Order: sequence, then C-alpha cells, then structure tokens
Amino acid sequence: MTTNGGFEPVFCTIIPPHVLDKVAQADDPVLAGPARRTLEHDAYQRTHRRLTTVLGAPAVAASLADEKPLRSIYDAEHRQSLPGTLVRSEGSDPGQDATVNRAYAGLGATFDLFLKVYGRNSINGEGLPLDATVHFDEDYGNAFWNGEQMVFGDGDGEIFLDFTLPIDVIGHELTHGVTQYTANLTYFGQPGALNESMSDVFGSLIKQYSLGQSADQADWLIGAGLLAPRVTGVALRSMKAPGTAYDDDVLGKDPQPATMDDYVRTGRDNGGVHINSGIPNHAFYLAATTLGGSAWEKAGQIWYDVLTGGELYAQASFADFARLTVAAARDRFNDGEELQAVLKAWEQVGVPTR
Amino acid sequence: MRIQVRRTGGFAGIERRAQVDTSGRPDAHEWHALAERAVSAGRGARPTGVPDGFSYELTVDGKTVYCADPRLTEEQRKLISRVLKEGA
Repeated sequence: MTTNGGFEPVFCTIIPPHVLDKVAQADDPVLAGPARRTLEHDAYQRTHRRLTTVLGAPAVAASLADEKPLRSIYDAEHRQSLPGTLVRSEGSDPGQDATVNRAYAGLGATFDLFLKVYGRNSINGEGLPLDATVHFDEDYGNAFWNGEQMVFGDGDGEIFLDFTLPIDVIGHELTHGVTQYTANLTYFGQPGALNESMSDVFGSLIKQYSLGQSADQADWLIGAGLLAPRVTGVALRSMKAPGTAYDDDVLGKDPQPATMDDYVRTGRDNGGVHINSGIPNHAFYLAATTLGGSAWEKAGQIWYDVLTGGELYAQASFADFARLTVAAARDRFNDGEELQAVLKAWEQVGVPTR
Repeated sequence: MRIQVRRTGGFAGIERRAQVDTSGRPDAHEWHALAERAVSAGRGARPTGVPDGFSYELTVDGKTVYCADPRLTEEQRKLISRVLKEGA
C-alpha cells in the first residue's frame, strides 16, 4: 500500500455549498427541503462548534432520564409515496402486523441506547419525533434514511427478507439521522465510509444493549437474519471479520476490507461507502473487544464523543477520525487502557493516529 | 433497442445489473415508450441520493443517464423493476 495515497477518495465529488444553495431554491419542495435543511444544519453546526469551544458543552438536564420517544409507524401499502398511512403511534398497543411492531420496538431500542447511555434525547438531541414507513414498494430489498424518516422494504424473499427483522438495521438507519444532525459526514469516499461505519457501530451497539450482551458475546454482524435461506451467508457485514459475511452464487462475495492494505478505490456505491466502512468497523471491534465488558460503555462512548463533539468535520478522512478517537479516549479516560486499546486498534487496521 | 440498468449502493452495497434487447419482442413498442420517458427524466450526472438509497444508471442505446432513490419518476421505477426482473 502507498502510505498516503490510500487515505484520499479517488473521486472526491463532495457537493459544494453553491450546488446546495441552488437545489435549496428549486421549485420542487422534495428536492429543495433536504438541501435547505443541510445548509441549515451546516450553519447550525458551525455556530454550535464555536459556542461549544467558547462556553463549554451544556450540562445534561436532570430531567433527561424521563424523556420518552415519540414514534409513528406508517404503512406504504407496497406503494412508493411517503410517509403512507399511520398505523401505530406512540403508546398504542401492538397490532397484527409484526413488521409494524418490530419497527416500533426497534425505534424504541435505539432511542433507549442514545438516551440512557449517552444522554441524547432522540436523534437530534431535542426530542425529534421518530417516523418510519414499512412495506415500501413491492419486493423492495432495501432500507434507507431520507433525511427525515426511515423507510423499510419487505425484501424480495429470494435474497433479502423483511428489513425490519434485524434490530441493528433499524438502529443503522436511525444513526444516519444522528450523524446528519451532528458531524453530517459527507456521503462519499472516506467520510461516507465513516458515515456508514457510525451506523454499523451504533446499530450493533443497539442490538448488544437490547440483548444485554458483552463485547465477547456479541456476534458483531450487521443484518443477521436478513438473508433469505437460499443465500450462502450469515449477514451483510461482519465487524469482527470484514469480508466474510457472505459468499454466494448470486450475491457474490462480501467485498469489505478489514485493513488499509485492502482499501478499495471505486466510484460506485458513492465511492465504496459500504465497502471501506469495514476498516473503521474493524477498528471499533478491536478496541471494544480488547476492553471487554459492555462495548457501549467505553469504546462506544469514545466513538460517540467524536461523532457529536463538534470537531469531526464533514469531509473527515479515516486518519482524522482516528486522531479524534485518541484525543477523546484521553479526555474521558486519561492515559489508561482505553487509550492503549484505541491506539492499537487503529494500528492494526493500518490507519495512522499521528 | 438495448436497455441496460445498473443499480449500486443500497444498505447492502451490492451491485445488480441487467439488460433487455427489445429487437424482435412483441412488446418492443411499449418498452421504447417507457425507456424514452424514463431517460428524458434522468440526469447527466450521478445525483447524491440519500444514505443507503439505491443509485441507478440507465443506458439506452449507449446513452447513459442517472437517477437515485427516493426521487424516481413513475416511468423510471417501472423501467428499472421490469429490466431487473425480466432482463438478463
């Protein structure tokens, strides 16, 4: 591997602010809305970072522990219009549709981890209502975050099953929301792979937290239970062993690298955001398993501190992120085993920390 | 007319591609009309899309346009699902 060349995306087509400005003025509100919000978030983050530097982080409100999620689940009834028909709202009893109930429970589990472990009130930190649409489109083998809500397909039954089945997939989508409201990592190249990795890390932590698993008990898989029975594979990604989640006639082989030696340069998949995320994913796994116990307490706290601390900028590289985790480990845990575990994890995946 | 669809990205990050050659097909006329409408609503450059959203390339007789979830026209969605389902 070339020591420096590996750390920059080849096709660096980050959306310049002037393009967002233009899109924000578009007549189509569906186009203009997200662009306008992105610009607003950018401005908010810049101000917030400056204020945090000057004033220090605000104290966590004592009443935060009493906060409750505000969930709404919609049914697209196999069409594509969003959000669809409201089928379950906060506090109502489970209905007949298991997909709806899983989405509701998954949103609750995600809300719980962020609130109880990290003191964050919903994905924007200010109690944002959580909306999800299920049964999107026909045979739709995907789930995504559209900037405002989660969207889940039922899968085609041949390759993918229902995307609400794995709780880490639900957590993954919601964490895209947390990232959007915090570091707002650009969804392309290395910052895009970091954006994906944040979603996998907290998606996995939400599963571990809800099951009460320690780092050595966790499967460290993303999307376990999502692949149809005929597919040869256990999940979509493995944080423990990137590149080993599936190897199938139709799907091909899991393309994820575990270290910078195997970094994949490509323009597809937004510059390989779902491919190279294997590298920061594996670094998290290494740090968490070295420290042992509940992964959300130490490694998770360090990663959360970086994601939300205001220093991680939108175009951050793997090395930028790694350096910030080292600083965050020192800030929170001084020069202890946490710092050593983080340094060693990045060294093992080939990302420099100085 | 040769209609090619390439889908990248998505939660799984797995690429899918398929193509349909309409020559000699009894429903060729229908395919042409659908393909023309889908391509005319496409973009010359790859749109950014949303986290985990699918990104598509539509190539009709050598001309390629781009589109991405969740912003597809009805014709684009129909063409894409037909090609991925019926194409080789």
